Amino acid sequence: MSLLRVCSFAKSLGRRSLADVRMCFAERCQLCVLVRSGAVRRISGTLLCLQRRNVSSVIPKPEDAKKRVHEQSQLLDVLKVRIQQLQSDFVLDVQHAKVQFVKAPSVGGGISSGRTPKGSSKDKNDIPKSGQMVTKGASKSQPSRWMEKLSQEKKNKLKKQQHLQQKMQRLVKDKVPGKSKGGKSSLIPTGTTHKTISSAAKGSKGDTKLWDEIRAAVSSAAAVTAVASAKAAMTPETSKQKRKDSKSKGADKEATKRTTTECKGKDEDLAEVEELEKRLNQQVRHWACSSTMDSFQESSMGNSCGDIQLSIRSYLEACVFGGDIERSHNFLLSQHRVMSRRKHLTTDVYNIMMRVWAKKGMLNQIGRIFILLEEAGLKPNVGSYSAALECMGRNPNCSPKVISRCLNQMKEDGVTVDDLFSHCVFQQDERDMLLKAIQTVKPDYEPCHTLNASQCFSPLVQDFYTKREHHTYPKLDFTQEELQERFKRQLRVEQACTVTIDSVEAIKPVTEHMARMRELLAEQRAQWQKVLLQALRESKLILTKTNTKDYKLNLYPYLCLLEDKEYVDIMIQSIASLPLSGESLKILARNLGNRIYTKYCVRQKHQNRTVEKLASIYDAYTDLLAKDTKVYNVLPREQWCKLEMEQRSGPTLQGGEASWPYIVTLELGTFMVDMMVKNLKINSDILNPACDRKLIPILYHMYAFRSTRQVGFIKPHPILTQMQQEAMETMLAFDSSVMPMLCPPVPWTSVKFGAYLLTPAKLMRTLEGAMQHDQLLEKCQNLHPVFDSLNQLGNCAWRINKPILDIIISIFNDRGSDELDIPPPLSEAPKIPHFNPQDPTYTASEKAHMKREVINAKKKCSEMHSMRMDALYKLSIAHHMRDELFWFPHNMDFRGRTYPCPPYFNHLGSDVTRAMLVFAEGMPLGSKGLDWLKIHLVNLTGLKKRSSLQERLEYANSIMEDILDSADDPLNGKKWWMEADEPWQALGCCMEIANAVRSPDPTKFISHFPVHQDGSCNGLQHYAALGRDVIGATSVNLMPCEVPQDVYSSVAQQVEELRARDAAKGLKIAQVLDGFISRKVVKQTVMTVVYGVTRYGGRLQIEKRLKEIDEFPKEHVWDASQYLVRLVFSGLKEMFTGTREIQDWLTESARLISKSGHTVEWVTPLGLPIIQPYHRTRNQVLKSTMQYINLQISHDAKERPDTVKQKNAFPPNFIHSLDSTHMMLTSLQCYSAGLTFVSVHDCFWTHALTVDTMNKICREQFVTLHSQPILQELSNFLLLKYCSTVQTQAKNKKYQEYRRLMLLLAKVPQTGDFDLQRVKESTYFFS
Amino acid sequence: MSTQSFRLLELMLRSSCCHAIRTRPCLQKAALTPTTCVPGGRILHKRAYSLDSFGPGRPSLGPNSHQPRSERTPPSSALVHRNLSVAAVQGQFRPLCRYDYLDLGEVEENVRRAQACKKTRHFIVDPNLANVVAQHMGPDLQDAKTVIFECNPGPAVLTRALLNAGAQRVVALEGDRTFLNELQELELRLDGQLEVLHCDFFRLDPIGCGNVKPPTMFTDKLFTDLGISEAAWTDDVPVKVVGILSQRNERGLLLKMVYALFERLSVFRYGRIELNLFISEKEYKKLVSQPGEMMHYRAFGVLWQMACDIELLHKEPWETFIVSSRQNVPSSKGKLPNDHLCLVRLRPRANLFSAGLTPSNASTLLMMVKQCLAKRKVKLIDRLNLWSPDSGSKLLSELGLPEDILTGNVYPEEYLQLFQLMDKSKEFTQSWLYEEILENPQREGWG
Repeated sequence: MSLLRVCSFAKSLGRRSLADVRMCFAERCQLCVLVRSGAVRRISGTLLCLQRRNVSSVIPKPEDAKKRVHEQSQLLDVLKVRIQQLQSDFVLDVQHAKVQFVKAPSVGGGISSGRTPKGSSKDKNDIPKSGQMVTKGASKSQPSRWMEKLSQEKKNKLKKQQHLQQKMQRLVKDKVPGKSKGGKSSLIPTGTTHKTISSAAKGSKGDTKLWDEIRAAVSSAAAVTAVASAKAAMTPETSKQKRKDSKSKGADKEATKRTTTECKGKDEDLAEVEELEKRLNQQVRHWACSSTMDSFQESSMGNSCGDIQLSIRSYLEACVFGGDIERSHNFLLSQHRVMSRRKHLTTDVYNIMMRVWAKKGMLNQIGRIFILLEEAGLKPNVGSYSAALECMGRNPNCSPKVISRCLNQMKEDGVTVDDLFSHCVFQQDERDMLLKAIQTVKPDYEPCHTLNASQCFSPLVQDFYTKREHHTYPKLDFTQEELQERFKRQLRVEQACTVTIDSVEAIKPVTEHMARMRELLAEQRAQWQKVLLQALRESKLILTKTNTKDYKLNLYPYLCLLEDKEYVDIMIQSIASLPLSGESLKILARNLGNRIYTKYCVRQKHQNRTVEKLASIYDAYTDLLAKDTKVYNVLPREQWCKLEMEQRSGPTLQGGEASWPYIVTLELGTFMVDMMVKNLKINSDILNPACDRKLIPILYHMYAFRSTRQVGFIKPHPILTQMQQEAMETMLAFDSSVMPMLCPPVPWTSVKFGAYLLTPAKLMRTLEGAMQHDQLLEKCQNLHPVFDSLNQLGNCAWRINKPILDIIISIFNDRGSDELDIPPPLSEAPKIPHFNPQDPTYTASEKAHMKREVINAKKKCSEMHSMRMDALYKLSIAHHMRDELFWFPHNMDFRGRTYPCPPYFNHLGSDVTRAMLVFAEGMPLGSKGLDWLKIHLVNLTGLKKRSSLQERLEYANSIMEDILDSADDPLNGKKWWMEADEPWQALGCCMEIANAVRSPDPTKFISHFPVHQDGSCNGLQHYAALGRDVIGATSVNLMPCEVPQDVYSSVAQQVEELRARDAAKGLKIAQVLDGFISRKVVKQTVMTVVYGVTRYGGRLQIEKRLKEIDEFPKEHVWDASQYLVRLVFSGLKEMFTGTREIQDWLTESARLISKSGHTVEWVTPLGLPIIQPYHRTRNQVLKSTMQYINLQISHDAKERPDTVKQKNAFPPNFIHSLDSTHMMLTSLQCYSAGLTFVSVHDCFWTHALTVDTMNKICREQFVTLHSQPILQELSNFLLLKYCSTVQTQAKNKKYQEYRRLMLLLAKVPQTGDFDLQRVKESTYFFS
Repeated sequence: MSTQSFRLLELMLRSSCCHAIRTRPCLQKAALTPTTCVPGGRILHKRAYSLDSFGPGRPSLGPNSHQPRSERTPPSSALVHRNLSVAAVQGQFRPLCRYDYLDLGEVEENVRRAQACKKTRHFIVDPNLANVVAQHMGPDLQDAKTVIFECNPGPAVLTRALLNAGAQRVVALEGDRTFLNELQELELRLDGQLEVLHCDFFRLDPIGCGNVKPPTMFTDKLFTDLGISEAAWTDDVPVKVVGILSQRNERGLLLKMVYALFERLSVFRYGRIELNLFISEKEYKKLVSQPGEMMHYRAFGVLWQMACDIELLHKEPWETFIVSSRQNVPSSKGKLPNDHLCLVRLRPRANLFSAGLTPSNASTLLMMVKQCLAKRKVKLIDRLNLWSPDSGSKLLSELGLPEDILTGNVYPEEYLQLFQLMDKSKEFTQSWLYEEILENPQREGWG
């Protein structure tokens, strides 16, 4: 018996019914039962007081009892009655139980039901039930609704379980007739024991005999389940797989017999299926050996931890964080007490409370929770034991005996001491306490740590990790001291959570009116602050008072996480950033909720004292990056892990906190919005004294109607908007995560840790609330290459291109410019026409027309406003950073494409933002650098697409005059740069070239300018390489050619031919289109076809292009686009036959997989697991006081997959996963070669000096990637994943489907004979 | 299989029944006149009623407005004339003239043709039903001024029934090209009583850009082509529309039409167009739901009730209609019964645009009603105060409504009065409610 059990043994007895005790121990040792039953009798005298004590722990303060609700007092009553009952007559009690047994004849089954193979959870479920039943019988004199309901619930559940049980038994009977002794006895006793029991009950014989009977029943039942569990265990053992497979094979053979008579053609099919199954079988066995099979099977069930569990966890954590231990304790107990709620609890939830008690050093409370755990049928895990031991470590007078007993039991449960240290997440001094406890027993114990070096890498990166002699990892151009200083600054920023910066409009002079308005606004704001603070406090008070039900989750703990003032500040801040036309309640609420969450996370890190440790590790880490230190041959991630390992004491850096479920974030957000709408008022005469003075709300909640749906909107009152616009406030407040980092980001070392210092960041961007991605990632063994690649991208330092920024700001602050993509201010917006609808001089149609004008003008205004604000944010951030060096931490989307985390200002943005950024590090141009700059400039203009590099260079040289003119006098000169496709980057490039040319030695000119190399139609490149399709490969430049091939032009050409043919035939629309078909018209559609654009989308794209052509007759646009999209599609089909085939194969596979009820999942060649989150939508309603918010959740993995989306998205997602792999490979190799490298998906950037090296690496990595049997491996993976569990043959149709899927998956498309190695010589592959 | 064969049997039975009646055309037609009360007529009546009385959720509405009409149309000379002529011309061949009786066609044939339609549509093929509908089109059917728009006639059973009932001018607006030929043939055989157009009444005045091709059309073109000019609102009903509302987007169409009505856009520019539409029972119940039925009392019902006299003319089980898709009877998921299609008459009130409401400020009324009824269990006073602080109680007392009335408890007429009061007060015209209207996308396509 465990120590914990013993120390709280008596209590536990008090809480349990006899049946409870009986069944609990039956499993362990039957002898015990006898002893225990004796003990019960002995103890029963003291039961009452024990029970009381226990109850009083449930109700913490007796003086509070008055306030307590009925439920609890009733519960007390129930318990009391039960105790009386126990005291009064033991036999009677048993009788009661028996009566129940007689009533429900299969309770014998019920007993054994406890021992279903799945573990003891069900078993425990039964226990209190029989207890409750008994009480019900006894306390009939004072029936209460509560009890009735409860017992009704239990009864229903019991029935269900019995039903299940019977099924189970039948199954067992069928399967193992007399295979073992236990099995045999199980057949008869289940029936007979009932009889004996019931007869015994009737006769009310001596209890000893009864006990014997019961024991017999229990033992036999236990035996039954032992057999059952052995047989029916659903673990993916190979034996089982074999059995199943052989079964299906048998069926196959039968089927073969049948079909031979019908037709011979199917024979081959079947043979193939058989062959496949054999192959699969072997693979399965192979996989099972390497134990990865688990992940295959589990992944589909992994999502069982749903929203509710997450809600419970985050609620408890919030309570604990706020120091509200009483609330969290009561909550856990109330969850635990009721079966329907208990099922949502996991060991980790109990552990949260254990941790709390451990901090307080209350061992007895921990003991109680251990009992609760056992009651719930859960096994204590590492977390539980570490909490227990920590608590013992905290108690200075804890006897070593206790500790060693605890350790013993831990051993029994299969947890080793080392596990504690390697698997637990420690806060504060938890780890040290734990170690202290262990060292009192084993004085010389030191946790042994090994870098979990599961060094099995994908062949793609094997060499990268194992052969490092020649690697020269780049150093940053900073001293260690500088980096440490930068770290401190960044830390300060993140600790503050918000950054307030001057907007670029601050340069403008302040008029008197503006000043007055600002003053007014500031006054109002101070007022609002006061009001909100008051309101928040009041509503918190109300929440504490009205929260009567312990088990009900409410917002109170979430409102205690931060200082009241911080909540208010967040609210006030959100007013300033509200768009003109309002914001939908959902989005506003989500933003508010997320802000609070971020702040809470940062505070949590403080409380856990991780900040100090982070600082010390980071300081050491800078050693790797700084230029003035020794050269390392380890990667940042490896170094960080090593450092963490070395500085083990103290808290763990990566937090183990649960992220909030979406619904909680929203609820909290709506609560705050509601508070704002209700409380924020303004005087109506504030702007116009002529108005009557009334207090009017500044925000109002109204509905907008979209077709048949109504969407709740929060809109600013016109008065507020007017004030804000006239005040033109120049301070912008941002979340700290919006700003680039001031020091190199923390390297990603695990799924949960990396990027910002304190602000939480996700490794994989997912839809709000989608958990399947994280679960997959966490299960994944080896994500190191992915981490390393992200770290490499994040480690690139940037700075602002000041001359460009200044020009942009000057235009921005002037009147903007639509041509140059600088949004003009609202003063440039079209005036909203004013008309009086009552004016009788207008006719109806005139009125309608004017109305439309007004609508359009308003729409345009609000669009312009939002564009302007977006640009304002970007420019202001850039302006704020103008003298800084900064970094963009990176993460990725679910297909592995990488993105910088800061949302507004980053190098992925538009031409304007890209132009503002240059590398912080400079490199000399070298011999070819200047040429590359010139070629890059020509590329940016969009001209000379089909010219060779040499020709482009010559062209650049021929226009040097224009280039220099643009650089010298961008705004008043010839303005050559403005004609370019990407004018701002072109201008930047002009300036760089001018500077280089004018420097004494251009080859030594230090350039910071990034030169881009673009994949030409990257999606098609991957398709062509996959299919080794010669024609396709040539047209997308995989094949070396003199001049670049341009797939868009060739498609345009082909379309033109088809059009001419149709025109000759007299097709009118073909004639209309004469002379309008160009590369530009088809480009976007061709590009997106590979990414799965539909005809519908394609038509819209072409329509847009055609509308841009002024000469094209507008009335034909629709027909022409319809016609053209058809031609483009058929043209592409002809050119890329191989591509088509692969695309079709992918689509069809996804369709069948999805139809079989699975989501499509695969692994990139680099080992990144990918799952498509498209499911049928589920509606969830959030009921807030303001309105109900209907959430349509389409990513819930428990819903059936959305076949259409799964199938349409698979080919593009797969290709994206490949291009991201290519990018990551290139980035890793560039890192080892010491290059600066960043990417915008399929556009790679580096210094002019290193373009050639990067090009070489990029091509080599493409070849390496595609030399892998990618499709074959995909096919193998899918077969293993979706076809290794054989369908039962009972449903023939199902089996047919399954067979079709298997055949399809096995049929990898044939490849052509393109020689992949040629890519290495192709100049225009990336150019 | 079995269900299909059963259906076939049913159809055969039904058609043979019809034949039995049709063999005595005089008698049957005569039955429609109250003077000679013959079994045929009673059969019709019985059909119409039996369904009603067994309907599960029969609404407890005023007996006048929502009962199928019981009184039959008085006989007219033209009708008698035509019926007599049928008897007279039997056996001879000559071009059909105004008074010739049109054969409604073989039911099987019509069913086949209807089911060949590619879009999901409901069709009237049952001659009895067609006749019932024709009778409901009112006594002024034979008035030369009355124009009837028949939407999507399909195999033209109802068209013929209408003509048989003496309609002087029927415009068949058919959206599906496959039915056009036959309709045009019929048009040629007649003497100008029937005009056939390739046009979908429910897709008039599209929002999107691009060139408009039939069956989509703009109202002004349609009406100009037909030579119908704008009429004052208080004039008589210039056009009666009869048809089956598309099941796919029932609510959307009803909303669009009521918006158009209030702003006098689209067809309502041409006067008080009367709609006689088959809509699903479920939607009908919502349309006429009363204050207090918080689930179903919605803005669109309020607006229709405000704008029109709503009259339930007839209820017919789904099974009588032929559907051109596999799914025959819609599943009734909600709480409302949905066993029938209801022929509902929506006749715009002549006095709608009096006392302050005009087509130009109607959009604010629409907005107000929609905002109020987005949630039915909120206090009206809160809404009013939101638009103009502190004026809620004043308005309510003027209207004689209690302070704590919920928005779902206010009658349509009261909303209209409320709006009229608001429109007069200075505070409300300054309110954002008035600004809001214009940028609301709700009426796209009708504005």
